[in-house]
Amino acid sequence: MQASRARLFKEYKEVQREKAVDPDIQLVCDDSNIFKWTALIKGPTETPYEGGVFQLAFSVPEQYPLQPPQVRFLTKIFHPNVHFKTGEICLDILKNAWSPAWTLQSVCRAIIALMAHPEPDSPLNCDSGNLLRSGDIRGYQSMARMYTRLAASPKKG
Amino acid sequence: MDQDEAKSNENHSSSSRDSNPCPICLGPFLQESYLDSCFHKFCYSCILNWTKVVAGKHSPAPSSVKCPLCKTENLSIIYGYDGSSFQRQYINDSFELSSFFSKAHKYRLKCYYTEPGILSNVVNILRYWKSRKYLQPNRWLQSWLRREIQALLQEEDVEIIVHHILGVVDSFLRRGDQSHQMRTPETKQVEFKNLVSDAARPFLAARTERFVNELELFLASGLNIEAYDEVYMQQLGWNTPRLTGEGADVEHSEHTPIVPYLYIFDDDSDETD
Repeated sequence: MQASRARLFKEYKEVQREKAVDPDIQLVCDDSNIFKWTALIKGPTETPYEGGVFQLAFSVPEQYPLQPPQVRFLTKIFHPNVHFKTGEICLDILKNAWSPAWTLQSVCRAIIALMAHPEPDSPLNCDSGNLLRSGDIRGYQSMARMYTRLAASPKKG
Repeated sequence: MDQDEAKSNENHSSSSRDSNPCPICLGPFLQESYLDSCFHKFCYSCILNWTKVVAGKHSPAPSSVKCPLCKTENLSIIYGYDGSSFQRQYINDSFELSSFFSKAHKYRLKCYYTEPGILSNVVNILRYWKSRKYLQPNRWLQSWLRREIQALLQEEDVEIIVHHILGVVDSFLRRGDQSHQMRTPETKQVEFKNLVSDAARPFLAARTERFVNELELFLASGLNIEAYDEVYMQQLGWNTPRLTGEGADVEHSEHTPIVPYLYIFDDDSDETD
């Protein structure tokens, strides 16, 4: 418990100091609870998520970093490995392949990589997975792009 | 390290330490430890806690742990490096060490962290060589060697090493019996120590020298293991725990208090649970 707090505090300081290093990720700690974080990540370029800004919610367990944080999308996203309703993410490093050397920042980077490289063989969103698995790249991309516009794009005007 | 250097380290600590912190706690290293294959560095308690978490997910307990940084499989954690020797904690042993690693093993290992020569006023080593007491076989030697090597290596199966060293000791004493009557006890002693050192060094590395001295001490004492342990601990001022288990409370140490660093050592290593 004490260890997880100390480590999260270190990560907090690191985030403050290196804000400019990774402009695609903005990590913010909850004002009153160091175990709750939110992140804004930019959709990677040359993907249907380009131009979108996606919000992630982190819930960090007390055994962190021996246990992985729980992360989900708050912003609606059409992606084979993200549950369309709950925003739950299917990503090995958040489960079996977790290592305590990961940080919240590097988890964000892993999620951005997952957005660019979906794994249709372990889908949480079957519609999206099926489109990709049947080779309908165009169908998948247009659906994903539509949801990016609808849910993840900054409002104009 | 002298004090000035320590101070200047203190001053620069925030920048230099943070640039290379422990990957698990992100803080400065406490008790630097290394994984044995990839040599990535962690705090001892950080990496030990992680191996426990990993082990908890698998049954039976795995014998290796993946490095959190590079995923290399590692069999043990190396820690407590003091310039000449180090401690090694096997991934599997941290969970099953207790099955063979008894209190007696623990006490023997601790002895290696004390100043040598503790029995010098009780056991007269030179007389052992002068009076040629070594010509009488010591029937406790094999058991003593087994326990000693088990304690040092923290490994249960050490039979090969025990037999190897026993063979060297035996053949030396037998050989000396016949042909080399003319030598002085001192050369005899030196020759003996060199031979045993050579035999033991591949296995015991930096602990070889002390091990040979302890072996000589045990032989020279002429005591059986129980009596030897009792005398040894009495000299150290340790509470003589009945190594068999009970009765430890009966006899309180009336000698010098236990050296504090032994407690520190006790804390972080050779845990039986």
